[in-house]
Amino acid sequence: RVSSDGKPPKFQPPPKPVIIDRRTQKEERRFLSPEFIPPRGRTDPLKYYIERKDMIQRRKVFNIPEFYVGHVLAVTTADPHASDKSKRFVGICIQRGGKGLGATFVLRNVIEDQGVEICYELYSPRIQAIEVLKLEKRLDENLMYLRDALPEYSTFDVNMKPVPRMDHEDIPVNKLQVRMKPKPWSKRWERPKYNIKGIKFELPEHKMKAAQKWSQPWLEFDMLREYDTSKIEEKIRKELSEELEK
Amino acid sequence: MMPIWTKSGEKHAVTLLKVQDCHVLRYVSKEESGGKTAKLLVGGKNVSPFSKPESAHEIFKEAGVPRKQKVTTFNVTDDAIIKPGTPLYAAHFRPGQFVDVTAKTVGKGFQGVVKRWGFKGQPASHGQTKTHRRPGAISTNKAAKVYRGKKMPGKMGNIYRTSFGLKVWRINTKHDIIYVNGSVPGHTNCLVKVRDSKLPTYKDCNKNPPFPTFFADGDEELPEDLFDEEIFQFTDPSVTFA
Repeated sequence: RVSSDGKPPKFQPPPKPVIIDRRTQKEERRFLSPEFIPPRGRTDPLKYYIERKDMIQRRKVFNIPEFYVGHVLAVTTADPHASDKSKRFVGICIQRGGKGLGATFVLRNVIEDQGVEICYELYSPRIQAIEVLKLEKRLDENLMYLRDALPEYSTFDVNMKPVPRMDHEDIPVNKLQVRMKPKPWSKRWERPKYNIKGIKFELPEHKMKAAQKWSQPWLEFDMLREYDTSKIEEKIRKELSEELEK
Repeated sequence: MMPIWTKSGEKHAVTLLKVQDCHVLRYVSKEESGGKTAKLLVGGKNVSPFSKPESAHEIFKEAGVPRKQKVTTFNVTDDAIIKPGTPLYAAHFRPGQFVDVTAKTVGKGFQGVVKRWGFKGQPASHGQTKTHRRPGAISTNKAAKVYRGKKMPGKMGNIYRTSFGLKVWRINTKHDIIYVNGSVPGHTNCLVKVRDSKLPTYKDCNKNPPFPTFFADGDEELPEDLFDEEIFQFTDPSVTFA
C-alpha cells in the first residue's frame, strides 16, 4: 500500500469478533403443556390454581414427557382383564384436547387393516408409562384427516424402537403432504375453516375455488375473539418451574 | 367441575363448592318460629352494606358481622345450637358424608312448551300449517275448562331445586372447598345451600362428624386436604391390578 507521508500506515485494529451466545437464545423456547393454560371464562382463578396443584403433584410422581400432535407414542395402561394386567398401545397423536385434569390425547394406529383410535387421559392413574418413540411435529394442530387418508400414513410398527433424538432443541417439522382416499370424507377438509396444510388435495380447481366460498376472512381481525395468553403463560411457567424443582 | 379417580381407576365428576365467609346470625327457638325444631339463621358471602337501608342491617349488627348476600334457615335440634357470630368452615363436613345441595337453577327466561315441559311438538313437514312447537290440545270437551296447573309456556328456571344424596369426596381446609360428587343446580359462582342428606339410605352415614360444628380455635390441627378412603391421591404411584 502506498502511504501518504512515507510513514507506515496507521495501525488498524482487527475487527472485534461478534459473539452470539446461543445458550440464552435457546432458553427462550420452553414448552408449556397446553392443558395448563386456563380457558377464557368467568370461573374463579382459584379453581385453576387448585387444579394446577393436583396436576403438578401427579407430574412429580409420574413423568409426562413433552409431546406435540404428530409424535408417535407408546402408552402402557393397567387393565384388570388383560393376562399381564397391562396393555401397550403405539400410535400417532392426532389431537390434544381438554384443560386441567381432564386433558386427553388421541392415539391412532392401523392394526391388521383396522384403524384404531384410543383417547387417553393424561392424568388418569391407570396410565403406567408414556414413551415418546418418534419426535416430529406436523403442519397442523389436528390430524383428524388421517381417518380419510390412505391407511399407510397411519400405520406404525407396534414394536418400533424409539428414534434417538439428535439435539435437545428444535423439534423437526415434517412437511409431509398426505394423500387422501376418494371422496366422500368424514369432514370436508378442503374448506378454509379447518385450515389444513398437510393434505395434497388432488381435487379439480373449480372444487377448491368453490370451497373458498365458506371462508370467513374477518375472523382473524375480530377483536372480541382475541385471547392473549403470553402473560398467563409466563406466570404459570414460573409457578411450574418453582414447584417441580422442590 | 373436575374429574376425580378412585383407587380402582374409575373416574367420577366432582363439583367444587367454596365456603365463603359463613356466619351464624341468629337463633330462633321452637316456640318463636312455630315449627317442630329450633332454627338457626346463617348468612354467607360478604357484600357492601351501602345498597340496603339501616333497618336491614339489624340482624348483622346484633351478630357483629358484615352484611351478607344471602340469609338461610337451617332446622336444628336443641343439642346443636351455636352462638350467633361464630364462623362456619368447610371442615364442618367430612369426606364420605352424603349431602343435599340446594340452589336457584339457571334462568332460561320465557320458554315454550317443548323446552319447558318436554312436549313433542308437531312434525316439520307433511302439511303442518304454522304449527311445529305448539302445545296442541289443552283440555277435553267434557271438562269444559282448563285445569289448574296445565303445562303451558312461561318463565323457566331461576327457582330453587335440590340435588339429593351427593357424596363428599374431599375437603380443602386451607381454602374452605368441598368436593361434591356429580352436578349441582345453578350457574358457576352462584350461592348454594349445603345440608346433611335427609335420604333414609344415608341416615347412619355420619361417623363422628364435628358436632355441633368445626370451631377453628386451634385445638384440632387438621391437615390441609382431607380425602375419602377410596380416592386415588396423586402422591401415590399409578394404579396396578394385582
